[in-house]
Amino acid sequence: MEPAVYEQEEQVQQTKPKKKFRPGLFLLKNASGMFGLLLVIVSVSCALFAPWIAPMDPTEAQLTSRLAPPSISGADTEHLLGADQIGRDLFSRIIYGARISLMVGFFGVLLAMVVGTILGLISGYVGKWMDDLIMRLADIQLAFPFILFAIIIMSVLGTGIWKIVIILGLTYWVGFARLIRGQVMSLKELEYIQAAKAVGGSHLRIIGKHIFPNVVSSILVLGTLFIAEFILLEASLTFLGLGVDPTIPSWGGMLSDSRNYISSAWWTATFPGIAIMITVLGFNLFGDWLRDKFDPNLDV
Amino acid sequence: MKKAKWSFMLLFVVLLLAACSSDTEETSAENDSEIEVEGRENELVVGVPGDPQNWDPIDTFLLDWSTVATSVFEGLVDRNLDLELQPGLAESWEYVDDQTLQFKLREGVTFHNGEPFNADAVKFTFDRLLGEEGAQGPQQANYTSIDNVEVVDEYTVNFNLNEKDPVLLTKLAGYGAVIVPPKYIEENGDEHFNTNPVGTGPFKMTSYEQDSKAVLEKNEDYWKDGVPKLNKVTFRFIPEASTRLAELQTGEIDVMKRVEISQVESLKDHPSLSIQEVGTPTVYSLRFNTEKEPFDDKRVRQAVNYAIDKDAIIEEILGGYGEKISTFQSELSFGNNPDLKPYPYDPEKAKQLLEEAGVAEGTEVDIYIPGNDGNFKEITQVVSYYLEEVGLKANIESVDSNTLISDLIPSGEAGHMYRQGWGGWTLDFDNTAYLMYHEGEHWNPSFYDEEVEELLEAERTTVDQEKREEIFMKLTERLHELAPEANLYSEVALYAVHDRVKNFQPPHEDRMRLEEVTVE
Amino acid sequence: MLQFIIRRLLHSILVLLAISVIIFFSIRLTGDPVTVMFAAGEPSPEAIESVRENLGLDEPLPVQYLVFLKNLATFDLGESFRTGLPVTEMVVDKMGATLLLAFGGVFVAMLIAFPVGILSAVKRGTAVDFFGRIFSLIGISFPNFWLGIMLILIFSVNLQWLPASGYDGIEYLILPSIALGMILSGILARLVRSSMLENLSQQYVSTARSKGLKEWVVIMRHTFRNALIPTITFLGIQFGSLLGGTVIIEQVFSWPGVGRMIIDAINQRDYPVIQGGVIMLAMIMVLVNLLVDISYSLIDPRIKAGGGSS
Repeated sequence: MEPAVYEQEEQVQQTKPKKKFRPGLFLLKNASGMFGLLLVIVSVSCALFAPWIAPMDPTEAQLTSRLAPPSISGADTEHLLGADQIGRDLFSRIIYGARISLMVGFFGVLLAMVVGTILGLISGYVGKWMDDLIMRLADIQLAFPFILFAIIIMSVLGTGIWKIVIILGLTYWVGFARLIRGQVMSLKELEYIQAAKAVGGSHLRIIGKHIFPNVVSSILVLGTLFIAEFILLEASLTFLGLGVDPTIPSWGGMLSDSRNYISSAWWTATFPGIAIMITVLGFNLFGDWLRDKFDPNLDV
Repeated sequence: MKKAKWSFMLLFVVLLLAACSSDTEETSAENDSEIEVEGRENELVVGVPGDPQNWDPIDTFLLDWSTVATSVFEGLVDRNLDLELQPGLAESWEYVDDQTLQFKLREGVTFHNGEPFNADAVKFTFDRLLGEEGAQGPQQANYTSIDNVEVVDEYTVNFNLNEKDPVLLTKLAGYGAVIVPPKYIEENGDEHFNTNPVGTGPFKMTSYEQDSKAVLEKNEDYWKDGVPKLNKVTFRFIPEASTRLAELQTGEIDVMKRVEISQVESLKDHPSLSIQEVGTPTVYSLRFNTEKEPFDDKRVRQAVNYAIDKDAIIEEILGGYGEKISTFQSELSFGNNPDLKPYPYDPEKAKQLLEEAGVAEGTEVDIYIPGNDGNFKEITQVVSYYLEEVGLKANIESVDSNTLISDLIPSGEAGHMYRQGWGGWTLDFDNTAYLMYHEGEHWNPSFYDEEVEELLEAERTTVDQEKREEIFMKLTERLHELAPEANLYSEVALYAVHDRVKNFQPPHEDRMRLEEVTVE
Repeated sequence: MLQFIIRRLLHSILVLLAISVIIFFSIRLTGDPVTVMFAAGEPSPEAIESVRENLGLDEPLPVQYLVFLKNLATFDLGESFRTGLPVTEMVVDKMGATLLLAFGGVFVAMLIAFPVGILSAVKRGTAVDFFGRIFSLIGISFPNFWLGIMLILIFSVNLQWLPASGYDGIEYLILPSIALGMILSGILARLVRSSMLENLSQQYVSTARSKGLKEWVVIMRHTFRNALIPTITFLGIQFGSLLGGTVIIEQVFSWPGVGRMIIDAINQRDYPVIQGGVIMLAMIMVLVNLLVDISYSLIDPRIKAGGGSS
């Protein structure tokens, strides 16, 4: 089912193996993916090197610079992107906020990935009643409206960053599980795997050696796209008052706090909005590109 | 070619940035022009945050209910906009003896459906409130001191009490005691009444769409002469504050209830909108769990009171829209002690008290707040900053507000400190103080003091208001000293009103009165 | 085939049963509705007891569940604690508004995704493709509450073209539909693009081209029509989750839908309304998935009778 256009491209590359790698051409041909990667790198660096990049303490409130306008717009303040409603430096908060958003995205996806991969492998490989059971579990998850589910769970467990990670992970495993199950089902019919079974290879070995390497790329593609979605979901949960601890700088928290200042202090809503957009757009573009490259038939 | 593409990309990003910032700048520019209102002659539209969903007075305690329903229903006793008690559907009243209260009813009043208002209607209302139907709702519990209502003649009723109740008259001006039409309810059933309310008020509800709007029309036969002046009032239910503001800015609503402090800035100096502020009985504090170390020591509780700069919080976060309080009640409340001063901001004193109490530097304090209260979130953040200044490390836990109220607080699991908000609707410290400090109450999982118990008992057993006031003065002093909470402020409510609206006066307690209001 | 349908139907019922168990018991962990009801009052323990009895909360939980289940079988979802109205009536009433919004969202998504997807595919690898992709992804790069507030600021407050909130006519549907549809449009455009690419490379397209048909005729008549099938299927699958995703949009635009009703009910611990609302949403999602599955297997018999949906 691979589109012929891709095949042609690959053939072109294969027939000219000695062709020099030209970075300029590569960039040009993969502009959207590389642009996405660039954006991802920017936000990941912010998260990693936050203490060195941020000029001020993101949690320190200075009531005197409450809603100070940004100095890049020409205002005479010490705040590059202005200050928020209790006088904390917006630029520093955005830099540190990258940590929370990426943490929620990364660990949430990791959890979903682990749970989904395991269940998907079992479901696809073992089949029969296990498959039925796991797929019914998936149906239950899918039929349960996520936000409402989150509200109910958080009412019971309380809020907090790790609880968000757990809720996201335990809700979104379905995507991974279905993906992997499908791939495993078609892979296990292949001759060499049948052969490996016939010669008495252990199940774990077959999964680890033959099946898993074949599905890794799909998992990564899906993971990248889910990171983007999770970052947005964190913001939405915060909007509903179910987000992370308010002292911790998070983009979602900054955005939902700022909604009433939009017309009086535009910077409080604009810059966190741009930050979230850059990151999410980056992951989406990069994920899209990965998919085109490695897994063009993947449906998300 | 390659160059072209990169410059394209750059251009795109720049455009995007420009678009984002210019949009918002334009918005603020646009905000400052006059707002035209079209096609609403003699009609007022009010934007309110919540839909009470059930209009039956005995099923509710919601402020959202009273904002609308004050125009539809009336009680025997009424409270005017200055919170003074005045005759409502009763012309006068007197205590026949300690446990009998007699009312003379107003004659010639009819319900919106044409039914006459008389002693039978009053009896029906209270039989219903105190009977089976009332038992299903939250209002009955407020009126248990009434044993029964007795019809003397068509326009005279006696309230026979089973105990002295010093705040009965105040309560009769409350939600549960508004008079409902007997025949209408008997014919149509309680369920029908929930969504099709009929009262004696200045406006009648002619249509109600859940979560969308309630339309009220003028009661032509209203007993007060010359009012109401408006033909029609529409209440629209708009939960999101920024949306409510947008509706005001586009001229779709004339009055906006619950303007958030963060929105004040964008409304100031507006040519056709003005902000009206009004003090409310609603108070906020951070209550201590007095059984949890180190807050079992009153010095530590006092230290926290000294450590927090209430003035700065009110000034900076509330934009000045808040009043300092010395005990857990507002200035409007009967029992407030005007001689008692709130704890001053004195971090040195706080440190000293903490040291005396042997509290180590860096002791962690968990503060529980409801996740849906943005304002309080900011306040708590500032409080945590002040606590840090005196050596306490605050962890803020933001939790679902109902879990906090219905589960964590009563079970004493809401950390060392938690937000305690209180409506204070009776405007009498009795209700608040009893529920907050009497041992074993839902709201009081941890505090106990013998003297407080005695004072509470004494205040409840007399109807002599002067004596009660005296007791309250003692009680407030004792509570101030024991500091079961760090009192922060009493709320100032903000309304935004279009200039075409005349004679609108913002209510202290959400009960909007619209008889005198006109529009241009 | 019939066996497949019966089997899937049984599965669906099982799924709904499981959801009813989860929702029934989990909301009962979130706090006591009676305390919430009395939050401002001064109730005696007897009063609380009698309210509890009236609401049927004094029975043991499993008994309450069985009663709920028994009534559910006849589509009787009980009565709201707060309003006393039959929940079935309330949900049906609100579901109309939510469905309308969801359809609006799908419509907007198609309006954006089809041109962008087609153009990106036809002009693959060019600047048009690049910007098309970014454009379609920007919609899903903002949290939807923020997008909603921005739309209100720009189109209602600033330009005064459209009403900001309410539920009074077709013009009220536009902004919330855009806010909802933007989220879907990014994914949809991606799908349109890839299925267009797939079809553009097929034999019959070259045949059509060689017959000298104009390029856009080829694209629209041959390629697009074929690319439509997977797109519609995708929308079918997504429609269910779209229903759950309207919650925030409903809140921002004061849209009287099921999501807002359930959030309100959660705040009031109005158990029957939460249960009823969630079950009805789940039912619609399951039903839509079932239909997609069945039509899938009718179109493509290769999908085996035990397989789940896509």
